[in-house]
Amino acid sequence: MNALTASAAIASGRVRLANVRQRSLVEAKVRVLVVAFLFLLTGAAALTRIVQLGLFEEPPERRSLAEALLPPRGEITDRNGFPLARAFPVYALWYNPKALGAAGSSLVKSPEEVAKALLQIFPDADYTDLVKRMKSGKASYLRRRVMPEEANRIFALGEPALEFPRENQRYYPQGSLGAHVLGYVDSEGFGHVGMEQVLEKQLLDPAQRGRPVELSIDMRVQGALEDELGRGMLETEAKGAAGVILDVDTGEVVALASLPSFNPNRSDMAYNDLVFNKVTNQVYELGSTFKPLSIAAAIDAGVVTDLAVRYPSDRPLEIGGFQIRDSHSFGASLNVPEALIHSSNIVTAQVADKLGGARLKSTMAALGMNERPYIELPARGFPLWPRGNGKAGEWPRITTMTVSYGHGIAVTPLHLAAAYATMVNGGVWRPATLYKVDPAKAAEGRRVFKASTSARMRQLLRMIVVDGTGRSANAPGFRVGGKTGSAEKPGGKGGYNRTSLVATFAAAFPMDKPRYVVIVMLDEPKGTAASSFQRTAAFNAGPVVGRVIPRIGPLLGIVPDDSRDIDISDLSPLVGNGEGE
Amino acid sequence: MIASANRLRSAGWLVLLGLCVALVLVLAFRVNALRSQIHRAEARIVALKQDKLYLETEFETRANQQQLKVWNDVEFGYAAPNSSQYLEGERELASLSMPATANAPEPIRVASVDNAVLATAAFPAMVSPLSGKAMASDSEVLDSEAQMRPAQINHAEAVVTLKDRLGTVVEVASRKPVRAETVSEKERAQKAPLAKRPEKKVAKAADAPKPDKAKAKPKATVVADKSAAKKGKTTVGSRPAARKEAKAAG
Repeated sequence: MNALTASAAIASGRVRLANVRQRSLVEAKVRVLVVAFLFLLTGAAALTRIVQLGLFEEPPERRSLAEALLPPRGEITDRNGFPLARAFPVYALWYNPKALGAAGSSLVKSPEEVAKALLQIFPDADYTDLVKRMKSGKASYLRRRVMPEEANRIFALGEPALEFPRENQRYYPQGSLGAHVLGYVDSEGFGHVGMEQVLEKQLLDPAQRGRPVELSIDMRVQGALEDELGRGMLETEAKGAAGVILDVDTGEVVALASLPSFNPNRSDMAYNDLVFNKVTNQVYELGSTFKPLSIAAAIDAGVVTDLAVRYPSDRPLEIGGFQIRDSHSFGASLNVPEALIHSSNIVTAQVADKLGGARLKSTMAALGMNERPYIELPARGFPLWPRGNGKAGEWPRITTMTVSYGHGIAVTPLHLAAAYATMVNGGVWRPATLYKVDPAKAAEGRRVFKASTSARMRQLLRMIVVDGTGRSANAPGFRVGGKTGSAEKPGGKGGYNRTSLVATFAAAFPMDKPRYVVIVMLDEPKGTAASSFQRTAAFNAGPVVGRVIPRIGPLLGIVPDDSRDIDISDLSPLVGNGEGE
Repeated sequence: MIASANRLRSAGWLVLLGLCVALVLVLAFRVNALRSQIHRAEARIVALKQDKLYLETEFETRANQQQLKVWNDVEFGYAAPNSSQYLEGERELASLSMPATANAPEPIRVASVDNAVLATAAFPAMVSPLSGKAMASDSEVLDSEAQMRPAQINHAEAVVTLKDRLGTVVEVASRKPVRAETVSEKERAQKAPLAKRPEKKVAKAADAPKPDKAKAKPKATVVADKSAAKKGKTTVGSRPAARKEAKAAG
């Protein structure tokens, strides 16, 4: 029993052993197969992927060259292609209090020390504000724009909490130059004030933003105008100044300045009172600069056919209890050229009276004085247009007379520029524009004066500068013609404030073939040593024009030439002594 | 036999197929490699263009109109050109070389040496902007008295000095003399009544002593200066002064 059981046990154990070996071998083979299969699968998958990548897959994040170079906001250039506004990646200074971990101090040094160090890099920064921001523990911008070298200096402070994210911002390389034309872009990316607002859609449209928008502005001319206006403003301690230079044939605005200006690069500080555009938005009674327009209307209507006819000028003109005076007496009588040269209100009013309210009104309306100025800018002031009597709005005699010398009607300097361009370019009024215009495709415009009237007015305007009140603007060789205007501002006793003036000079050059109109206006200039202690335009606005024209003329292709001038020989015998005010 | 040939052929086809597939793969890989190269090149172009934009903007900013104006005010002082700086056309250009008519003033001649100028001119001594003392090209020969007061010129000697200078320069340069008048020429000119020249011409001729020529040969100039200084009547400084005047006239 025992032996049997033992043998059986041995026998069965052997069998089992053989089975186990067999099974293990099979199992090992299967495992090898599985592993080999897995390897094969992986290899096949890898190969498939490689082939797929090699054959079909495009490189990741593939963008076309044009797409990569497309600016996030289109560029604005001047008429010669110099950039005035461009999208520009800049560094900002961002304070991140969590840079050193959530717990503990966010700065290595104390906020005061860091603020002091930052103050050395940015002397214009506000120390207390910086300390407050860093102590608050909130993430915020410490500065929106940092130059690369400034970023390096901040980096050297060794504060991980001060970060410089690179951001796309709007940048104006010329600084505050032409700020009112360009406007600014706020931190949200919306354009304001100038062409940034007008062109918003176009500048953001992917199909169009790759091509820069060319404005009619000439950066160099704009620089010269702003420089001289600023100088004139400081010299006469004026509250503000405005200037515009207009191409008489195309209506292009070559320069437009309103001072004091703002810096569009500081969008956080750009929105203030200074964004108000004095050239297109503020209306002024521009005074005597209107006299040539009234005289032109009278010549055009055939009211003044003989320039030698003399008008009494020795005593104030009384009309409806209102007295029209001159600054001082110019003698018993004056003819039209003399009236313009001496800037006589009395004679101009008489001529306008002869012309009649209806005709003066229609001429002024044809010059666009009864509507907002034509320009692309959003800020355009509505003129103060005399309402007149009755349904037809006829101007009473007194209104006709005051309008003839620029009182009782308030327009923007741009209105005046367009009117002067009309008067000297052969008589065609054209809307002003800030886009570059091909001279062959200039706006058709509307005829206001006859070409003969325009030719006569050029002579008269030149005479004012040669012999009359405009002598201070007579830039040698540039054949300047123009008219001064010094209007009292409304307010004070009797409706007008005698001490606060708006001094304007409206000029065109060269008079033998006018190309550009220059308007310079000073708001409340004071009598200083620089202006011979006078407030009138001949002493403050006139010299500005006289300095601007020689600077801009050669830039605009007008060569000074002493040997040529408009022929005024038929009119000069009519002028007696040629002494101005 | 046939079976083996068939097998061989089909194997050949397979090998050919495999070869073609391999070639296609290689080609496809090469094409894609080139594509990524282009992509890299494009990325580099973009980066460079952005760099260019950055630098251009920086340049525009640093050289903006307001900055240029400040520099011009402080450093350069350029003024707008006036009408005398323009020529209208060929006609005006040609008119400059018109032969003189009967009563016309004599044409202005420049770059000539006129002794009459030196006879009337008293050049102030050049003063150092730092020390406020008179400057000399050779300080050792200047006595302290001469440093304190403007140099008095003995005109006769000054002429000789200038002539010496020019003469030296011409000799060293071994070139054709630059209108350096000899004594005999001068005498002849004084004798001839036509030698009297209008005032305007005299003023222009002040630029004449060719300072650059003298500068080009400093050794020769120093010798000339020394010789002048040793005579006790120094003209040191007249050369820079003349150049300064020339600049002002220009």
